[in-house]
Amino acid sequence: MALSAEDLKALRRQWTVSRAVAVPLSFFVAATARLRFGYRLPEDIDRIRDVIWEKLDAHEGPVIWAANHLTLIDSFLVYWAVFPLSRSLEDRRIPWSTPEYTNYYKLGGAWKSAFIRGLLYICRCIPFLRGGEDAAAEAFRQNAFDKCVWLLREGAAVFVYPEAGRSRSGWFEAKRPKDFLGKLALEVPSAKFLCVYLRSENQIATTVRPPEGDRFRIAIDLIDGARPGETNAREVSQRLFDRLAELQNEWWKGSTLAKNCGGNDVVDLKAPLLRENFSEDLADADPEWLERHLTPRELAALRKAPDFFKTFWRFFCAKEACHKALARTGLIVPHGAFHEIEVDLFRRKAVHVSTALQLDIRFTDDDEDKLHCVAVLRGGYIGDDATAGDVVWDVAEVPAGTAAGAFARERALDFIASCNDEIGSAAKLAVSEEGGLPTVLWSGKKQDWSLSLSHSGRFAACSFMVS
Amino acid sequence: MAFMRKQAVVEATDLNTITPQDAEARITAGVKKYATNEANFAKADGNTPYLGHIIGMGIESSNLADITMSIERQFLTKMTTKTPIAEGSTEYKLTAGELGKLRILDGQDALAATPGLSVKMLMDLGHMPKNEAYLQNVMSFAYVMAVGDGWKMADALKKMTAKAEKLQGAERAEALANVKTLVAQAKDYDAVLADKAKLAAAKQKTFSNDKSSYDALNNELNVTLDKIKGLSAGGDAAALAKLRTEEAEIRTRLKMSAAKLRVSQETAEAAGNRRPIEDQKVADVRKALQEAAAQAEKLG
Repeated sequence: MALSAEDLKALRRQWTVSRAVAVPLSFFVAATARLRFGYRLPEDIDRIRDVIWEKLDAHEGPVIWAANHLTLIDSFLVYWAVFPLSRSLEDRRIPWSTPEYTNYYKLGGAWKSAFIRGLLYICRCIPFLRGGEDAAAEAFRQNAFDKCVWLLREGAAVFVYPEAGRSRSGWFEAKRPKDFLGKLALEVPSAKFLCVYLRSENQIATTVRPPEGDRFRIAIDLIDGARPGETNAREVSQRLFDRLAELQNEWWKGSTLAKNCGGNDVVDLKAPLLRENFSEDLADADPEWLERHLTPRELAALRKAPDFFKTFWRFFCAKEACHKALARTGLIVPHGAFHEIEVDLFRRKAVHVSTALQLDIRFTDDDEDKLHCVAVLRGGYIGDDATAGDVVWDVAEVPAGTAAGAFARERALDFIASCNDEIGSAAKLAVSEEGGLPTVLWSGKKQDWSLSLSHSGRFAACSFMVS
Repeated sequence: MAFMRKQAVVEATDLNTITPQDAEARITAGVKKYATNEANFAKADGNTPYLGHIIGMGIESSNLADITMSIERQFLTKMTTKTPIAEGSTEYKLTAGELGKLRILDGQDALAATPGLSVKMLMDLGHMPKNEAYLQNVMSFAYVMAVGDGWKMADALKKMTAKAEKLQGAERAEALANVKTLVAQAKDYDAVLADKAKLAAAKQKTFSNDKSSYDALNNELNVTLDKIKGLSAGGDAAALAKLRTEEAEIRTRLKMSAAKLRVSQETAEAAGNRRPIEDQKVADVRKALQEAAAQAEKLG
């Protein structure tokens, strides 16, 4: 669909206005970030900018900016981090943004809304509508896409978030690419992707803005858009997503936070104490006891499930696994606060209610005897039946007369050693306890593998992340 | 409906007619069947954690709700009148009324990690009179957790030392590197336990994280309220309803976040306020850490 003459006229007018205010606006963005919110850029930001601008200067064509997305002010922050004030007259390089219409264009009363709209206008924003499947919403999206294509063909830069929204897990997942940027690159083959991974040191979850006073670190690269012969948008997007995932790993190498955040839990379904709150036929349970464990949404799902007893323990098992994954980030869910984590067994997702962090869950063992669930918040892909993930696990029966906890530890070390030829022997490994969380030591060094241990009745299990 | 649990019939007692010690004994007896570490249960006192196998009763997390419900079944209270927290609110607190079944509301048991802390919870919620003499001998939640972490660390070091002792050659050298790291961790933690200010600072960090989460949620709520304000003039009823649902969800999240914040605030405060009962428990675990480290260092 071509842009109408009116659209083009409006776009050209917006470009002219924004060009006129580019310098004061760049100062405004930098001053607000630094003075209002106390944000700091990395100490070597000049070196980082020099490297990336050398690449940008060597590329004559348009640029598609693609960054990870965690807060509502990311576009400003990425611009502030990448664009030195000395270059704010380089009109062609200043990116156009694609903010979600419902998030930004109807905020507050008349005055506030008008101010924000005005700001977005001079900041080169093209409103985008991500929700809605009706014809009007489709047309809105197509129109925004066409504007991006037109701008790129004019040699401009366009900023789009590849994930199409803020990441609910705080992790950029390369295994779930979206096609939008691939399509855009195929429309404008001369464009390159500017891949940016920007995150403040203490940004754990999706928020309105990063914690005040935080320091940012950035990993950045300029890569090819559509390569000659590439015709598949998914293929182009996948390459972009893979590069962003590599930049994400670079970022995490310099972080004091644990990158890998996974957990597991095993439930022995034949353990007598598991049955005592259920009716004899296991088709119902004490409502008060159920309410202590499950949220109203979970309860409704449980009531519809075919296997009442097992479904309840699936919820429980998933919550426990998530509890351990969250603890790795420093988010401690108090013991017994079962409502803090809400599980959706159908979508294989769980949400930490107070931060809205979303975790992936997967039942690796689900039979008459036992359940074993792994959960991943960040650090890698959980995997599915078709694709191997970054989590490996082991479930075993505890030999009679053996302490389950000690068995789980020893078995975990044997299992880890068996998964890595370089280790060879479990004797080289040890489990340390830090803040109540098990951590693997190898040759005296702590490993960020997110070891998780669990035992219940006859079974012991472990999981760890290999990403 | 026939639940398995109904086989255990308990006669409930008015909490105002018994001593804290009696309440503690009943609470401990009530969780006996969930305790998988019989030896620790047999010598359990008011400061023995329900969870954990090293010094705890070995109750599994799948029975956590059963602990609270066991307490509810055993006692009667006068705090039975449901009073809305705010006018028109569906949330309520329990205030004085007729003698009836004890009810522990969601989140109220977050700090009840030992029988003593369960009794403290009952006192704090007004179900039984405060007894300062009794509370003097109840370890705070902060110290139950801090001491528990110390025991886990000492246990891991002891086990690793025993394992390394049996190894030879290159494997022994690798194992000794791990032992060295564990010894360093044990010594660091010993130093943290020795200085209540350091421990308080560590707990303060958790509080700061929780505070940041709470503030971030407030920002999220403000944005949603702004969206509602912006949309109200437009009259898009469906979008407005969606935003109202979003607002309600954020308010629920805020409530949970506030409850969590209270827990971490109390923990941070208690960590800096060490009493004789906590001094004793800290001394015990520090001794275990030091002994484990000394034993490990003998390996060379």
